[in-house]
Order: sequence, then C-alpha cells, then structure tokens
Amino acid sequence: MNRRGLALLGAVVLVALLLLTLQSRGRSSQAADAVAVVTTPVQLVLSRVHRGAFGLWATYLDWKNVRAENQRLRDEIRGLRVDGLAVQETVDENRRLRRLLDLRARLPLGTLPAEVIAREWGGWVRSLTVNRGRGDKIARLTAVIAPEGLVGRVVEVRPGAAIVQVLTDPTSTVGAHAVRTRTSGIVEGDPRGGVRFKYMARDGSGITPGDVIVTSGLGGLFPRGIPIGRVTAIDDRGSALFHYAVLAPAVEFARVEEVLLLTGDTARDLAAHFPTDG
Amino acid sequence: MRTFLALTVFGGGIVQATLAPALRIGDVAPDIPLIVVVLLALRRGSETGCLAGFAAGLLQDIATGGLIGVQALTKAVVGFGVGALGGRLRVTQPLVQVPGLLVLSVAEGLGRFFLLKLFRFPAPFTEVMTYVVLPQAVYNGFLGAAFVFALLTAESFRDRSS
Repeated sequence: MNRRGLALLGAVVLVALLLLTLQSRGRSSQAADAVAVVTTPVQLVLSRVHRGAFGLWATYLDWKNVRAENQRLRDEIRGLRVDGLAVQETVDENRRLRRLLDLRARLPLGTLPAEVIAREWGGWVRSLTVNRGRGDKIARLTAVIAPEGLVGRVVEVRPGAAIVQVLTDPTSTVGAHAVRTRTSGIVEGDPRGGVRFKYMARDGSGITPGDVIVTSGLGGLFPRGIPIGRVTAIDDRGSALFHYAVLAPAVEFARVEEVLLLTGDTARDLAAHFPTDG
Repeated sequence: MRTFLALTVFGGGIVQATLAPALRIGDVAPDIPLIVVVLLALRRGSETGCLAGFAAGLLQDIATGGLIGVQALTKAVVGFGVGALGGRLRVTQPLVQVPGLLVLSVAEGLGRFFLLKLFRFPAPFTEVMTYVVLPQAVYNGFLGAAFVFALLTAESFRDRSS
C-alpha cells in the first residue's frame, strides 16, 4: 500500500469528519449551503434531463403498450370470431339434429339416423356415403330421407358405411305424383344435377309451377307422401314422351349432413308427417 | 481519465436518483453508487476507489438531505479498501462477486450506522440491519454481479469485433 494512497484516504476521511463536525456544531446549513451552491444547479439540470428522458420513455412505453394492446385485442377478436363460428356451427348442427329427431319421433315406422361422411358430386354419379353399414342391418334400396323430404336410396351396403344414390343422380328414378292434381309420373335425375318429373299423363295433368311432388308409394320401395320437390317450370314439347316438369328438390343435397334410413314398413303414407304447403 | 471518472461517479449518482426507485423490490432499493465505486476501485486501484467513493458518497449525502460526509466517508473507505485488496480477488467469478459485494455493502452499512450513531441516530441496530442493510446488501450483490457480467460480455463483444 503506497503512502500517497494512504495520504489520500486520510485527507478524505479528514474532510468528511470536518463536514460532520461542522454539522454537529450547528453549522450544518453553512456546510450544506457551501456544497449546494455547486450541486443545486447540477441537480436542477439533471432533474430536467431525467424528467425529459423519463417523459420520452413513458411516451415510448405508452406507445408500445398501445401497440401490444392493439395486437392483443386483434388476436382476441380473431379468437372470438373463430369461437363464434364454432358456436354457430354447433347451433346449426343442434337445430338440424333436433329437426331430425323430431321427424324420427313422429314417423310411424322404424328409422336409423345416419351421418353423411362423404359426397360424390361428379356428373356421372351423385351419391352420399353415410356411416351406417352392414353391421347396422341396412338393406340395399333402403329409402333415405331428411326432415325436408326424400334424399334417395341405398345402393351399396358396406361394412360400416352405405352409399346413398341421391335423386339428382342420372340413374335415379322414383314413382311420384303431384299433391294438388294427383297426376302420376316418374321423377328422374338429370346429368346437370337437376330433377325432372316425367312420363306424366299429358291430358288433364294441370300441373303448374309451385306444385309439390311427393313419392307415390308405387313399387313399395318408398313410402307414399314423402316430398320430392316443387315444380319450377313446365317443358311442353308436344309429345307426352318428352313432356316434363322441372323440379326444385325439397332437400338441398349438397348441404345435407344427417339423414334417416327408413328400416320399417315402407307401405305407409307419410304425407301427414312432412310439410307440403310451404 | 479524470473526466471518465467524474462521469462514472456522476452517472452512478444520477442512476441512483432516477433508476433506483424503479428498481425497488418491496422497500429495498440497490445502492448503485456503491456498486460503481467498488467496480472502479477494482479496476483502477485504491486511490481512484477512494476518490470515487468520496465523490459518490458526497453526492448521495447532498441529494438525500442527510448528514453530509457520512456516505462520503464510508464509501471512500470502502473504495480504498477494495482498491487495495482488488489484485487478490478474481472478480470475474460470480461466486466472488455476489458475496463480495454483499460483504462490502454490509461493511458500508455498518460504518454508516456507527457514524450516524455518533450523531444520535435513533433507529435500533437490529432493525437497521434486518430491514435496511442486509436486504440492500443482497440486492447489491446480485445487481453488481449482473452488471459485471454485462460489462464483461460487452468487452468480449467489442474485442471480437475489433
């Protein structure tokens, strides 16, 4: 340890003690004033710098917080929108299932609910795959309905799944009649995805747009009275062979999610169980 | 060099007046000028440590409105002592930094307490030690170690880039 250092320490200690002694003898204000003359302006400047710096910092923090909050709120809104969609989806599903359940409860024949798990929507084939199959004792040609009306018939039964040919399939044919005029005919799918009411007796048919076409029950495959669609246009080409009505299907096949497979006695008239007026 | 020294000491005072309240944990605020004095003394030796301690302590005494000279004296002694012993300490080791600063803070606190007692400081020793000196010493230890680590990292980065 060198002498210079010790001397410095001694000097410093002496100054400090002197300051303390001065203060203890009531001269504190003089000692403090003497030092304050130098330090007060510096403190003033420092305080302003400090205030300015902290003001800037506070502004920056506010800005940053606002940005972060903005981002957080955007995320929250996005999350809520997704939640809203999920809730809406659940509400829709609930409504559909309730309608299906309601229909199932009021139908006087055996039914089996099924969920649509796949769709084939090409021009050649129009079908739905449902999650009921051989294990559920589903038979080929089982009628398939939705709360709005007829969907089609089972054409293929596999383990755990069944293929349902929908009415718009070009090879689909269903015996039908008009509710208002009792005019009989056959409903066929067409390659463009529409449905036609054909082979109806031309004379006295009296079918007009808006008429409801339902299953006739002839052939024993489909129960009588299930809505198929509503006439939207009449195509009169002069020959009974080509005379047909264009139908708007009662069921929206592209959107149907749940269906009922009719497993019981199909020789029943179900007209009273479906709305045909609206 | 003197400018650097003055700036460092002054900077420590400013930081103490401005940042220390923000760094408070409960009622415990770090003694940043003490950390600065210790680091300066370790790097520059006992004379610098002594002067820096005196200046920093004096600034704090004035800023806090207490007895002028108490912290000037205790910090000057701490700065001198650390500067004198500095060569024997491996301050890059956290195992030295934290307890070292803790011990120095306690020593400075004890010195301050006994000096103040001479001027009829009313608070009891145990309370001052329990609620003021020891918590602040622990805080100083960790903050000082963090500061040393940051300093060493910055230096190594600078060396690598130059």
